[in-house]
Amino acid sequence: MSFPGVTIDWQVLAPILALAAGGLLLMIVDLVSRSAPRAVLFGIGILTCVAAFVTMLPLYGQETVTLNGAFASDRFSWTFDALLLVTLAVTFVLSSLRRSEDGGSAGAYGALLIFCTIGGMVMAGANNLIIIFLGIEQLSLALYVLAGTGFPREASQEAALKYVLLGSLASGFLIFGSALLYGFSGSIQLDAFVRLAGHFNGLFYAGFALLLVGLAFKLGLAPFHTWVPDVYEGSPLAVTGFMAVAVKVAAFAVLARLAFTIFGPAMTVAGPLTAGASLAMTPLWILAILSMLVGNLGAIRQRNLKRLLGYSSIAQAGYIVVSLVAADFGGFGGGLMTMLFYLTAYAFTTLGAFAVMALLGDGSDSYADLDAYRGLHFRQPWPAAAMALFFFSLAGIPATAGFYGKILLLEQAFAGGPWGLAMAVALVFGTLVSFYVYGKVVWDMYAYSEDEAVLPTGHAFAPWVAVAAGAAGTLVFGIAPQLFYASQPFLLMVPPAK
Amino acid sequence: MSGMINLIDTVIFLPLFTGIVLLFVPRSATRVLKGIALAGALATFALSLAFLPLGTASAADQSVPWISGPFTAAYHIRVDALRLFFVLLTTLVGAGSIWAAFSYAHVERLRGFMFLLLAFETTLLGLFTAADLLLFYIYWDLMLIPVFLLLSGYADSQAARRAAWGYLIYNGAGGLVLLLGVIALVSQVHTFEVSGLLVNLSQSLQWWIFAAFAIAFLIKTPAFPFHSWMPPTYTQSPPPLVAMVSGVQSKAGLFGLLAFGLPLFPAAAHAWAPLLLVLAVASILYGAIAAMGERDAKTLVAFSSLSHLGFVWLALFAFSITAVSGSILMLISHGLIAAALFLLLGFVEERAGTRDLSSFGGLSQSAPRLGVFMLIAAMAALGLPGLSGFAGEFLILIGTWQTQPLYASLALIAVVLASVYMLKLYQSTMHGPERLPHGGVALDLRAREMWLVAPLLAAIIFLGVWPGWLNDRTPTAVEPSANIGLSTSNARVPAAPAPARVSLGAHL
Repeated sequence: MSFPGVTIDWQVLAPILALAAGGLLLMIVDLVSRSAPRAVLFGIGILTCVAAFVTMLPLYGQETVTLNGAFASDRFSWTFDALLLVTLAVTFVLSSLRRSEDGGSAGAYGALLIFCTIGGMVMAGANNLIIIFLGIEQLSLALYVLAGTGFPREASQEAALKYVLLGSLASGFLIFGSALLYGFSGSIQLDAFVRLAGHFNGLFYAGFALLLVGLAFKLGLAPFHTWVPDVYEGSPLAVTGFMAVAVKVAAFAVLARLAFTIFGPAMTVAGPLTAGASLAMTPLWILAILSMLVGNLGAIRQRNLKRLLGYSSIAQAGYIVVSLVAADFGGFGGGLMTMLFYLTAYAFTTLGAFAVMALLGDGSDSYADLDAYRGLHFRQPWPAAAMALFFFSLAGIPATAGFYGKILLLEQAFAGGPWGLAMAVALVFGTLVSFYVYGKVVWDMYAYSEDEAVLPTGHAFAPWVAVAAGAAGTLVFGIAPQLFYASQPFLLMVPPAK
Repeated sequence: MSGMINLIDTVIFLPLFTGIVLLFVPRSATRVLKGIALAGALATFALSLAFLPLGTASAADQSVPWISGPFTAAYHIRVDALRLFFVLLTTLVGAGSIWAAFSYAHVERLRGFMFLLLAFETTLLGLFTAADLLLFYIYWDLMLIPVFLLLSGYADSQAARRAAWGYLIYNGAGGLVLLLGVIALVSQVHTFEVSGLLVNLSQSLQWWIFAAFAIAFLIKTPAFPFHSWMPPTYTQSPPPLVAMVSGVQSKAGLFGLLAFGLPLFPAAAHAWAPLLLVLAVASILYGAIAAMGERDAKTLVAFSSLSHLGFVWLALFAFSITAVSGSILMLISHGLIAAALFLLLGFVEERAGTRDLSSFGGLSQSAPRLGVFMLIAAMAALGLPGLSGFAGEFLILIGTWQTQPLYASLALIAVVLASVYMLKLYQSTMHGPERLPHGGVALDLRAREMWLVAPLLAAIIFLGVWPGWLNDRTPTAVEPSANIGLSTSNARVPAAPAPARVSLGAHL
């Protein structure tokens, strides 16, 4: 198949097409057999992830762009794609147990998850402003519906409505920013901005700032975070876990590519960013510092675990922004590596924590109530230990992936000039506050006596797989981070920095 | 030396391994739990004795490449003349604490209590053998968790819970400041394997990094004015825990200074010395005065710790070779004395049902062995010649007098005050007519209680009679600090740093 004037490299698009096929298959199966068990439907979903991953394998080592430069397949997109696929597979595993909060058809639910992931993969490869917008909308529209799939609970409907309203506002910012940037460069291609590097003007800065605001909405960076706690609390458990990881991965992929392509030459040489790049990115630094403070301080008073993780995700998004602050972004051990490591650590940890929640309780939504975790250690020692491990990782305690991630981030911050230093201080302060936040959960699980254990034991097996995988990733990347470097073949394409 | 090398890892991880084994024993099998835990702790101590033949010049050293990303780090562990005594102190106090724990935890929580104490011992051993900055930091931060969980999970009162949070937040803040310092250093040199002087680092950056290190170490020790977490933590901890925290963990900061802070940043250490000397003297005097006015026995000993560790801060920043060599003796001796005192006070509290010095007394009437043990520990704490507390203090005061006569004289006041509060502690608990809040007669030390404190007291007496045994083994340990301009004569130390000597090797 070909279209006049457009060159299409179908191989590059194969992972997305495989996902789309899987999503359609799910809908058809659901249509044909209204009573297909969840295990079958979500089994198809997981197989789709595997198929998409397999089609990705031949792409390694050949960086290319297709669709007339609109869509890239390179070391950025592969790793982000892989993370998205793992997240999707884990989400299917976590959804396999039907909970009282789940409503609607399982087939449509699974298909929506897949379409959402397609949006994320489009974002990861998007190389022009239109494709970025398309990817974000694809991801968001599916997520709006998913947030409401817990409709037996009123909170879920509220979450969906809030998400739609605020998400549409964010889309407005994005499209307006893109329009201004187009007005500046006369092209929607990101590459076009490289040639204009010395000529940034007010139009460019305004457009870029609006684009950043739109992305900050999606990332949940303060002060555009107000939807996060409510939506996290209201959405069904597995959707919240997916939202917490997939949206961040995809949005950071866009952010990384924007910064790296537009300020390309400026970000390949070690040292502080150039004046133009630095000015354009300044709003992001401020948002990141605010997020670290708001996320951690806001989490202090939360007694609902999903809300708490919502605030936590605000803070974590703020941390990850630090990886952009220094130049030499694409170099070995530079910001991209830092961002990928922290996102991977965050994915393992967060999905693990949601998997522990999926293990607990009797299918009702009592799993989210922090009071129910009192004395959990006595009733269910292993889930309690796993939860403690994930919270230690979020807090950045040594021997966990989160700790090594924070070391990488701080090292990046110290290379990033005054803004880097400010962010390092905010990061450390936020981490200190988070000791209290996460320590409180561990306290609840361990410090209370046996009699106070209330959370009933669940009988699901599937979430155990996710818990074990999350714990393994958290520990292995924490103790032997070298393995992460070894798992990134694209690094071989970049000469190690001296 | 490969046998020795595997031995280091065995000694570090044997306690943790024992703790993990405990987790597979049913909670109700308390006799089995106690047996395994004690066997593990004693085996760790016995194995650590194998390091003793290490002379002043030799060291067991193992370095395995660990991370080579944007920076390099190695799994580098080492037992040398400096680290040897910290390791021995940890394993000795650890074994005593595990044994003492038999009677403190609630039956259904005994297993967790033992596990956390053993895990705590592993983090301490890891810290004292770490020769790589990343490894050092990892153990430094990991120490927080067992102590926090032991404080929060095994104490019943609201005050104890507040103490747990105070400990976590204060020490967590210290750890994060240390992390900032470490990463600021690593972002310049791109390696965690730092040793010797850093030649390529600007003076102002060294000044800042040393400040970060110093704040973390001051908090951990603690020293005035960063000590506010200490009295509640020491007072509320169960005795086996406080014996470990005060006996061993409080040495972590000063060890960090000896192993990393001073050798890496000598010039910055000189620049900060005036302030740190003032803080040291403030700790010495404030701790002593606060201890005199204290009625809670454990809080009293906590403040005396503040005072005694202030002497070590004084010694390290007086830059006199005599004082520095005395400081290691003082650190080990304080570890033994503090552990013995807190364990004995645990027995006293168990018998009297209170720690309030004014509401009981005269225990030695019907518990003479407890009285004798208490007497030895208290006399050692006030610096009686012939017990280990004396030799360290004496060397420190002599050495400090050579370079900082004013501070030495001020510190001397605290030696007198120490007699006041220690005698008060001994007198009001042991002397006079016997009285207990609930009446009755105090039980004398049981055989187990005697045996678990006796080795600590034996070590106190041994080091008191023969301090040279330890002191002669440490000169090479102090050598790294020797190139920072230590004075061996009465001359004042020049403010200028010694010329840079050691480079970072291939990484620069």
